[in-house]
Amino acid sequence: MNNRNYKREEIQGLVFSNLFAFSVIGITRALSLHPGVFIYAEFVIIPFVMGIICSWFWKNLELKGARVTALSVLNCTVAILLSAIFLGEGVICLIIVSPLIFGFVITGTFVGRAMFKRDNRNLNISVLSLLLFLFVADSLSKHHYESKVSDVIVINAPAEEVWKHVVAFERIKEKNKFWLFKVGMPSPVAATVDGYYEGAGRKCIFSNGYIFDEKIVQYKPLENLTFDIVKQPRDPEIMGHIDILRGQFLLKDNRNGTTTLTGNSWYRLYVFPLWYYDIWAESITRHVHLRVMDHIKSLSEKR
Amino acid sequence: MFAFTVKWLGFLKVIPGLPLFFDALLKFSMFIIKPKMLEWLDEIESEVGSWEGVTLSLHKYGGVQFNYKGKEIGHLHGNGLLDVLFSRKMKAELLAEKRVQNHHVFKNSGWVSFYLKSDEDVQYALYLLKLSFLLQKNSLS
Repeated sequence: MNNRNYKREEIQGLVFSNLFAFSVIGITRALSLHPGVFIYAEFVIIPFVMGIICSWFWKNLELKGARVTALSVLNCTVAILLSAIFLGEGVICLIIVSPLIFGFVITGTFVGRAMFKRDNRNLNISVLSLLLFLFVADSLSKHHYESKVSDVIVINAPAEEVWKHVVAFERIKEKNKFWLFKVGMPSPVAATVDGYYEGAGRKCIFSNGYIFDEKIVQYKPLENLTFDIVKQPRDPEIMGHIDILRGQFLLKDNRNGTTTLTGNSWYRLYVFPLWYYDIWAESITRHVHLRVMDHIKSLSEKR
Repeated sequence: MFAFTVKWLGFLKVIPGLPLFFDALLKFSMFIIKPKMLEWLDEIESEVGSWEGVTLSLHKYGGVQFNYKGKEIGHLHGNGLLDVLFSRKMKAELLAEKRVQNHHVFKNSGWVSFYLKSDEDVQYALYLLKLSFLLQKNSLS
């Protein structure tokens, strides 16, 4: 940002765009339009309009592109810090959301810059009306999304051996390889059970002490362990934005001393747009699977 | 990253606004890893924008577009990739100089691509745009 001072209009752009964003989010929360869910409008349209608002304040400053980009980055950083304070979001959530916020604020700023340079009032009103329509339509739409992630590995051990480590397993000591786990996202470390039968309680313990309470709903030794998640922690780091609904391990004896282990998880997402967040949800769920499945593999092949 | 996106996700460019979003991410990445690039983009933008009859607009696939009397002469993406339109004959001559490449997507067209990598490249980028501008100007006069 060099050492130059900020002009009054530059500061106004930053202040009013953030004021707009948090007021709109506050109003939608107060109206309980989509409780507990963060929608497309909040991650795409609000940042985009924040950029346009900045451009409006900066329209007479003749700012160069480099300065506009730098101010936009500052604007995003302020918005993200305010999200941490007022919305209680955790660091991992903010890392995940950042590309969307940075991308759409910068896009909005450059689009706004072009709009106000052209100074076509009809065009400007049309653009803003379209954004308002999209915002209202998205806010009033139903947001419900559930999906499933599957992973398959082959273990060099018979099903009898693998099954011993599927229902419950001792503590995982291997180092995490997934970058989000390395930066502090909780990863699974152990599983315990109350009993080996349908209806028994199971607990999946995470690295930060979180416990997912589960109930075994299908118990077919050497074949199928399915459990529903009956209670899961709520915290700012991801867990409030995704619910794991059900987990499943399927074993297939390959009749050659090896076993194919399939891990399935069903989850519900509370953050939209899906084209962005589902990529993260799949990746995170997959790495949770693989952490457990690799551990089962290593325990089974140790015999 | 840019080449990967253009090659494998290029079909998404028809979604309104998505190329602009991608270009914004390019600018953001330049701000982090090569802030000098943003100054080069500004230098080119203000120089070309000062030429008589040249107007600037947002390019439909992201970046800034340079037009002469409503006709595009070239565009500059947020990562310093300059695409300029020439006749095929002129393109062959420029390719012989070995500083430009075939267009990163439309290889068999008159378009050439040039990547800004250093301060000196700004002058060559301006030379390319000036050449295209003059050709366009002559053809329209």
